[in-house]
Amino acid sequence: MTRRGRRFFVALVVAGSIAMVLLSLLTGAEPLSVARAWREWRSGIPMTEAPTLSILVQQRMPRTLAALLVGSGLALVGCAFQAMLRNPLATPYTLGVASAGAFGAWTATVLMAGYGLTRSILGVSSVQVFAFVFAEADVLIVYFLAARKGKVSPTVLLLGGVTMGMLSNSGILLMRYLSDPERLKMMDHWLMGGVDVLGYGPVLTLLIGVAPCMAILLAQMAKFDQLGFGVEIAAGRGINVRLLQTSTFFVGSLMTAVIVSVAGPIGFVGLIVPHAVRSVTGSRHRILMPVSVIAGGGFLCFCDIVARKLLPGETPIGIVTTLLGGPFFLYLLLRRRFTDWGA
Amino acid sequence: MTHTLTAESVAYAYESASPVFSQVDAAVRAGEILGIVGPNGSGKSTLLRVMSGLLRPGSGRVTLDGRPLSAFSNVDRARTLAFLPQAVNPAFALSVFEVVCLGRYPHMGAFGALSAHDREVAERCMRHTEIEALETRDFLTLSGGERQRVLLASILAQEPDILLLDEPTAALDIHHQIELFALLARLAEDGYGFAVVTHDLNLAARFCDRLLLLTNWRETPISGTPAEVLTGPRLSEAYAAAIRVDRHPVTDAPLIWAETPAGNGPSAGGDGPPLEGGRS
Ligand SMILES: Nc1ncnc2c1ncn2[C@@H]1O[C@H](COP(=O)(O)OP(=O)(O)O)[C@@H](O)[C@H]1O
Ligand SMILES: [Mg+2]
Repeated sequence: MTRRGRRFFVALVVAGSIAMVLLSLLTGAEPLSVARAWREWRSGIPMTEAPTLSILVQQRMPRTLAALLVGSGLALVGCAFQAMLRNPLATPYTLGVASAGAFGAWTATVLMAGYGLTRSILGVSSVQVFAFVFAEADVLIVYFLAARKGKVSPTVLLLGGVTMGMLSNSGILLMRYLSDPERLKMMDHWLMGGVDVLGYGPVLTLLIGVAPCMAILLAQMAKFDQLGFGVEIAAGRGINVRLLQTSTFFVGSLMTAVIVSVAGPIGFVGLIVPHAVRSVTGSRHRILMPVSVIAGGGFLCFCDIVARKLLPGETPIGIVTTLLGGPFFLYLLLRRRFTDWGA
Repeated sequence: MTHTLTAESVAYAYESASPVFSQVDAAVRAGEILGIVGPNGSGKSTLLRVMSGLLRPGSGRVTLDGRPLSAFSNVDRARTLAFLPQAVNPAFALSVFEVVCLGRYPHMGAFGALSAHDREVAERCMRHTEIEALETRDFLTLSGGERQRVLLASILAQEPDILLLDEPTAALDIHHQIELFALLARLAEDGYGFAVVTHDLNLAARFCDRLLLLTNWRETPISGTPAEVLTGPRLSEAYAAAIRVDRHPVTDAPLIWAETPAGNGPSAGGDGPPLEGGRS
């Protein structure tokens, strides 16, 4: 790919993502008139008496922001984990974080129903708190499995993560079995993920949990190139491989845990966005990672628009990301040479 | 400034294994090529890892210009000292030019932007190793020998003063083997220092200033000039094979060759049938 071709692609991604953000602000159960919102803003009447403006500010904006943060965060962690594990199949959920988070959410639901758990803990919903705590517990267990005498084994991280994910999934089945049918539907909805947040609280949680982690991961771009190429050669070039692997693991998992606890385990974004971008830009993380961030945000906004419009009522966004992403990913697999992903 | 990398009575043992070597003294000096030879598993790669700072010696110390390696920051070390491992295993596809540019890492800013100077250096190193024609090829589609030349270019692009190369000629054809050693000799004249692991004893004899012969049963290697190290009895003992050292009729350099083991196919110079049976 020539430098000009690459610039064109980057411009396209940026423009497309901006368009998705704008479209997301305008899309919803009822169409939104920009002119009316503007008039309401200019007139200075309080938000409670300005229906259009309040829909825009109280509903559409937080929702769009959440989609942006979740999408870009998952795409970035996908890139980072693929480099850290030196495995192009890695996703933010490879290490079991999503399943553990879902297990935590289910546990909270069951405890709230029968065992007197309060709906919220320190102002944050109990479901979120449990999802986060379970996800972090998974992270620690997987880490201690894989860390031995100054080394972290990517293979053990992978195997440990997959096993922890399966354990969590059977925990989810147990919780489902213990729940009454009323709750099943609600929790299934949670399990499919959604960015239909209410107000700015969840957006703030996302911002605090995700933005600093993204900055840390983006600062390692040049190192990921080296690590992806070869462990020993990277070490010879002055990279502290263990520190890079450990910090990427913890920062990426923390971010994923926050995202899962707020938006549920939205599938596929963290796999498909990095690959789609990689297939055009190549694997230099200096380009791959920032473009994936932008494309991930735009892609999830797009999926959220579809989720709002596809069926009457809301379709869970996890279904949309997979329905749209799956076939596209298969198309990429058909079109690309296998060496694009190394071997 | 001329640089020297020194190993002083270093020992190394992998976890719960007997020592690979102990009491190794070695020096890589500016302007010299140190050849490291020895049978498979004798610890050549391990020694390079220790000397490059990737592994900490169990005892003894490795110093760069008199300062222990551990006292350098990683990046400072990498600007002076480069290490080419025996194998790389890339997880993602990169073009040849991108691979060569990876070598610029210790000179880059935090976000890995390449300057015009970085590109120039990369292009010069590609010329040195005769890989300009491969520039846009996907590294993973190259032949083994082409890969080795690309890797050498990427190590040269690091612009180190001392280079530790693990079997850089293993997959090269005879043309590129001699080109590579000739290139190393030229660079050594310009003041670079090399330690090169190789299995080609004849090339080592011709191009190396000093040799280190590691063996599987001695814990201290034999070191000296090629003429001192490459003798029939020493090599025969080290490789557990009947090895003869003659004189090359043209260059007068040592000419090293192994006799065919008794009862195992044709004898030296003979024209018997190809090996058949003979092994239990
Ligand atoms: N990571 C490792 N863990 C344990 N033993 C190792 C490791 N790497 C090499 N060894 C052992 O150390 C010895 C020296 O290996 P190496 O330095 O690779 O030999 P050479 O490069 O001379 O062929 C061999 O016996 C090998 O099996
Ligand atoms: Mg070796």
